[in-house]
Amino acid sequence: MSLPLHLAALAAPRSATNQINDFLTGVKPDFVPDWALPLTTALISVGIAVAIISLVAMSGTWLERKVSGHIQCRYGPMRVGWHGWLQPIADGVKLLLKEDMIPLGADKPLYLLAPALVLASILGAMAVFPLAPDFYFADIDLGIFTILALTSTTTIGVVMAGWSSNSKWSLYGAMREAAQVVAYEIPLGISLLVPVMVAGSFNLLEVSNGQAGGFGVLNWYIWPWVNPFMGPAFLLFFIAILAETKRAPFDLPEAESELVAGFMTEYSGIRWSFFFMEEYAAMFLYCVVGSFFFFGGFESPLTSLARATDVHLLVQVAAAVTIIAKGYAGLFLMMWLRWTLPRVRIDQVMTLGYKYLTPLALACVLGASVWEVFLAPVLPWR
Amino acid sequence: MTAVANYVKNIVDTVKTTLVGMRITGKYLLQKPITVQYPDERLPIPNRYRGIHYLEQEKCINCLACARACPIDCIEMDAIRHGKELEWVSFTLDYQKCMFCELCVYPCPKDCIHMGTEFAFTSYDRSEFVHDLLSYQGMSREAKARMIEAEKKKKAKEEAKAAKKAAEAAKKKAESEAKGEDAPDAGTDGGEG
Repeated sequence: MSLPLHLAALAAPRSATNQINDFLTGVKPDFVPDWALPLTTALISVGIAVAIISLVAMSGTWLERKVSGHIQCRYGPMRVGWHGWLQPIADGVKLLLKEDMIPLGADKPLYLLAPALVLASILGAMAVFPLAPDFYFADIDLGIFTILALTSTTTIGVVMAGWSSNSKWSLYGAMREAAQVVAYEIPLGISLLVPVMVAGSFNLLEVSNGQAGGFGVLNWYIWPWVNPFMGPAFLLFFIAILAETKRAPFDLPEAESELVAGFMTEYSGIRWSFFFMEEYAAMFLYCVVGSFFFFGGFESPLTSLARATDVHLLVQVAAAVTIIAKGYAGLFLMMWLRWTLPRVRIDQVMTLGYKYLTPLALACVLGASVWEVFLAPVLPWR
Repeated sequence: MTAVANYVKNIVDTVKTTLVGMRITGKYLLQKPITVQYPDERLPIPNRYRGIHYLEQEKCINCLACARACPIDCIEMDAIRHGKELEWVSFTLDYQKCMFCELCVYPCPKDCIHMGTEFAFTSYDRSEFVHDLLSYQGMSREAKARMIEAEKKKKAKEEAKAAKKAAEAAKKKAESEAKGEDAPDAGTDGGEG
């Protein structure tokens, strides 16, 4: 099934970059040189990705503050706009106007490069994230591996930030981040192998297509009738992404109460906000990946309804709404967990990663493959 | 076997306790926040709360009882007396000194100084902490009216008295004139008296 579909995808230049390029070719005046076209296309594409990241980060910080507030029986921000929804803009203006400080004795080039590297890696990963079935920047066969690889490079930026800050707190934070990512990258990758095995593809679009049908709900990979090892695999995946995105209870690199702000202790102003943007964008991205591989991706009753009308634009909008809603649901779940659980110790983090998640992920892969090979062919609904 | 049992137990415990915790935080998430939006809405303040004073200026008689009772001398007042009415100049309370002990409230014979419920009092300048409790300066319209009334009455009384005396003097004069030229200065004496 997947091969002809993929060939069709290659044949039809549906990617957003191509669409933008086509549009620009249509409206290009004669005096503009030809080489300016791909440059403009690239700039617009990057602009879209940056806009997505900033919007996610802004809404994420607002949502975080509201959720944390209400969990603690407070209101959270209430002053700027209706229920404080403009608060992120006020914060952004404040951060832009803040003094950009570089500590004495800091390794200046690395110190300045670190936030950019952190943000650039998440921007690169955004290229693989399809916003709608016909709106994506890169349709890569190894889509999920690209995302995992690029989001892992944020670790380099974090270690760089911690090392170059000339601060012990920062260094501790960076070391913890390195240890944590090394420990949790393994169960993250392995637990994702379970849906990959069921889908038979690393490509996000194909994984989403594989879950079509069943009123947009019944064929999600998470259901035990698809594969009973999918539920445990999702749990492992979710714990691993909490650690990967440095979220509580695994926020040891930040560890506000012991390390002040960990690797970003010395950063201020807009450079500091880059780390924050990266954190929320990475959270959103991982949640979207989780919904692609476990919760149906673009498939939902809404998308099924839109598909029934057979209007192309409607299907795209419904799919985009579905995936964004699923991403934010994951974001909310992560926030809920953050304000529920206390931070674990570094040795507990390592124990959980190496002694529990990794073997369990391997067991899940083993069980899922046995199920796929021996049972799935005889199941009437598969 | 105990190691394996322990391992499984740890997993089950982790999942279970996390879910319990999430149920508790979820309950709080859905309940109404207990904080209030402070400057817009306020929690009720007990009646006997000792906040910034307020003065019933109409009742006050400028007797200085509160100022004398104050252990740190932070109350100062000044008024000019017009008969029974007061023309207020100032009634200041220095909140840099005041310790909100309420001792100024009890000695007041007219029960006109009270501790209020307002507690928020900030300023950019120390001088603003010397708070004037007067709601108006000088005299109130009623007091002025009363004063004018009283003056009028007094004047009328005096005039009546003078008229009476003049009448009496005139009578005396007439009588003495009738008697003869024995007492020529009697009329002027009566007029002066």
